[in-house]
Amino acid sequence: MNINATLIAQAVVMIVFVAICWRYIYPPILSVMKEREKRISDGLEAAKKADDSLEEAKLAFDKELNQAKAEAAEILDKANARASQIVSDAASKAEAEAEKILTSASTTIENETNKAKEELRQQMSDIIIDTTQKILGDEISKEKHEEILKKAAEEL
Amino acid sequence: MASELTTESYISHHLTNLTCGKTSEGWTCDPYKVDQMGFWAFHVDSLFWSIGLGALFVFVFRKAISKNSDASVAPSGMQNFVEMSIEFVEDNVQSLFGSVKNTLIAPLALTVFVWILLMNLMDLVPVDFLPVLAGHVAYAIAGDAVEWIKGPESLYFKVVPTTDPNITLGMAFGIFILTIYYSITVKGLKAFVAELTLHPFGKYMIPINFVLEMVNFIAKPISLGLRLFGNLYAGEMIFILIALMLFFSSIPIGVLGFGLHLVWALFHILIVALQAFIFMALTIAYLAMAHETEEH
Repeated sequence: MNINATLIAQAVVMIVFVAICWRYIYPPILSVMKEREKRISDGLEAAKKADDSLEEAKLAFDKELNQAKAEAAEILDKANARASQIVSDAASKAEAEAEKILTSASTTIENETNKAKEELRQQMSDIIIDTTQKILGDEISKEKHEEILKKAAEEL
Repeated sequence: MASELTTESYISHHLTNLTCGKTSEGWTCDPYKVDQMGFWAFHVDSLFWSIGLGALFVFVFRKAISKNSDASVAPSGMQNFVEMSIEFVEDNVQSLFGSVKNTLIAPLALTVFVWILLMNLMDLVPVDFLPVLAGHVAYAIAGDAVEWIKGPESLYFKVVPTTDPNITLGMAFGIFILTIYYSITVKGLKAFVAELTLHPFGKYMIPINFVLEMVNFIAKPISLGLRLFGNLYAGEMIFILIALMLFFSSIPIGVLGFGLHLVWALFHILIVALQAFIFMALTIAYLAMAHETEEH
């Protein structure tokens, strides 16, 4: 264990290395580390903000969705009401039409019947007159007994 | 030349530095002329590894910067290690130094920590690898040209710089100078001198105060250097003794030596890191003391 000039040499070498580290190594690495640290904390903050805004957007979206749903339901209700209205309208219209047709048909039938009856009566009276004329000769003329014939026809 | 390999020569071979210095015949690294060199001799092996490992530290950290320059890219590989060590040092400096602003302390602590860690880690390289390799290389290259290299074993080569008290005390000395510098610049010369002379007995006992405070003041760097040296020297010594079990004993003891080497190496990893940390922590603490303006 002998002390010699190595001690001084080592002290000088140490000063040189410390100076190199002090001047060229430590500050750049530290500054980059600090910068990165800042970046990371900024990034985390931004992520948190984004999270918050996402939450907000979600809420807004839910709100809009609910509103749209309510609107849709309303529209649907209205449409349903209108549809049933149309259907019932159509049904009542059709019923009325049917009624009308039925009425007119029955009227026509009645008319026809009356007409037929009239004709029948006419023919009957004609036949009776004819027959009576043949039996009685010319005693009875259509023109003379118009009144009586009419009465008879009405009684038939 | 010690041709016979004995236990004694094996140990002393491992504990002797490659020393170069000036003798009356000029510069030489002849181990038999170390006595003539006096103070102005250099432990070339210690300085070689010390500078080499320091350069490795600078190189690795420098390389991490070039990758590091963009803060938007996630760090990877070595860069993570570099940033981790810087963060570790920052934490320690923060806790010991608190509010004092001094940009030199953290780089100093980082350099000291990583550098000593690397130097200590050389202890885990098996004791004979590098010395024998260096001996053979030196013999092959300079065996004919240099008269004192008579064989591979004539070159002493100590691998772990922190087992050389010159290295550890040299670093402690550098820190000591910094302590004095900051004591004077931060507190002012008057306060610094007052601190050394007016405690603990007041102004009428200045000589006694000075002697007591001086012992306290000088003991710091010496204990700092010797603590590191002692721990690593002892560890190295045990590695050498375990290696001896392999070379100079029967086979069972040799096998036991393998086991012991493993156990000691595992334990030594702890010492390696711990001593580097202690040196760094005390460096920061001493410099923090130099910044304390409050009287105690």
